[in-house]
Amino acid sequence: MTDRRPGTAGDPQIVFDGVGVTYPNGYRGLSDISLTIPAGQMVGVVGLSGAGKSTFVRTINGLVTATEGSLTVNGRDVTTARGKQLRAVRSDIGMVFQGFNLTGRTTVLNNVLMGRLYSAPWWRTLLGAWKSDDVELAMDALTRVEIVQKAYTRASELSGGQQQRVGIARALAQQPSIILADEPVASLDPPTSHVVMEHLRRINGELGVTVITNLHFLDLARKYSDRLLGLRGGHVVFDGTGADADETVFESIYGRSLTGEDVLDATPNLETS
Amino acid sequence: MTTPTAIPAGKAVPPPRPSRLWVRAGWTAVLLVVLAAFWRVNIDWSQLSDFVPSLFHYLRLMFCPPAWSQTSAAFSATILSVQMAWIGSILGILISFPLSFLAARNVVPVWVRLPVRLVLAILRAVPEVVIAILILSVTGLTAWTGALALGIGSIGTLGKWGYESFESVSGGPLEAARATGGSRLAVIRWGLWPQAQPEVLAFWLYRFEISVRSSAILGLIGAGGIGKMLSDNTQYQNWNVVGILLIVVVVVTMIIDQISAVLRQRLITGRWALVGYGARRKALTPTGLA
Repeated sequence: MTDRRPGTAGDPQIVFDGVGVTYPNGYRGLSDISLTIPAGQMVGVVGLSGAGKSTFVRTINGLVTATEGSLTVNGRDVTTARGKQLRAVRSDIGMVFQGFNLTGRTTVLNNVLMGRLYSAPWWRTLLGAWKSDDVELAMDALTRVEIVQKAYTRASELSGGQQQRVGIARALAQQPSIILADEPVASLDPPTSHVVMEHLRRINGELGVTVITNLHFLDLARKYSDRLLGLRGGHVVFDGTGADADETVFESIYGRSLTGEDVLDATPNLETS
Repeated sequence: MTTPTAIPAGKAVPPPRPSRLWVRAGWTAVLLVVLAAFWRVNIDWSQLSDFVPSLFHYLRLMFCPPAWSQTSAAFSATILSVQMAWIGSILGILISFPLSFLAARNVVPVWVRLPVRLVLAILRAVPEVVIAILILSVTGLTAWTGALALGIGSIGTLGKWGYESFESVSGGPLEAARATGGSRLAVIRWGLWPQAQPEVLAFWLYRFEISVRSSAILGLIGAGGIGKMLSDNTQYQNWNVVGILLIVVVVVTMIIDQISAVLRQRLITGRWALVGYGARRKALTPTGLA
């Protein structure tokens, strides 16, 4: 697959500068976030429900607009981008969702081709007259997540794990420099969760795509990230490596000590991850 | 993973039963409406006792035997009616399709969709026969008048079904399409349309079924086809011709209904099945073994 990442690994790619989000109903989603994510990093974001994890990833592609501060992605200001500019920013950022967000009634291939909506001319998208290059790209993406044999199956006929791999393929078909994954394994069982996380890690390692993943389970986040961000009440309360995340850090993120509910694999032990 | 809370010993105390006042009021209202319906209709109950014998009398006139010689004429009149319904449905689909997008909450702002919905509601309120009578003066007593009336008459329902299916789609795929950098048009085409498409196509077929039945009624006012043949022969009391007409209409309508139902089933479920067999049996046996 061709790689159109601007810059090289390690260059600052996503720059949050005093970013805050206040929703129209007055709810504070994020407060005063300042951090830099370099290209090619694998970032895990942990925190309780309502801590701002979803808001955090959605500000990066402008699905949620930052109301304060500035946020640049690949040198483009996301906070002020509108219309065509915003779509240009989004085209470079793939997104994977908790509920997969596939259209169940159409084929896997059609779902993956949605990754080409930005680059294809409007009349091609309207008629569904995709160029063979686009179809090839989609097939490549499906091959990468090992599900290409299901290309012509209705998406609804796949299992949850398979559907999420199609979701990843759709993101890959954009040839993105960044992939955002919002709780990608929250609807999956433990073994399937590991398969999906392995795919994300491979994409990060082999293609150099920056991957930012919201995860509920701390052990999963530690295992599959170079860097861990802990969110609580819309603030970043931890920013470090998985190895740094000890019991005190855990308490600062979750406001209580670690229990079996915070890890995916049965034993609640920070050291086994 | 949480340990279940122990159930405390002792007598269970169910919550008080919610008030059934509104349910009772509702049923009383239904009863009053039914009673009111009989008032002023002046039902002559004595006629009812004559009904069954005279029904048999006319059935004998119609079907013992029907005028088999008129079969091909009846068929060609029925086919004309079906053509009328077909052309009418296509007209209705072409006009209602863009309107249903312009009436959907998740596609357009309120100042666009309210006027469009008003137009659709007005069209729904006018019966096809009335539309046909209104346009008769322009187009004359032809099958084209019937097709036009069926087309205009179906815009209202098709448009409503359309925007209701668009509004019932799940937001997830729309968000996914937006996240890829897709334009508004792309989000509608690839996020919204594939979700609603099977239902919308099924509604189109169903509306055609309805139009096939309505086309016979339009014939009664002279718009050609089976209805015209039916009313002419009833007037001249050619009961055995009426008999063959009824046979042909019922057979053709049932065949179209069945084909359409199988196609609709395929559209919605993605599988071929005889309607009333496969799907139903599966639903009744959750294990899927039977």
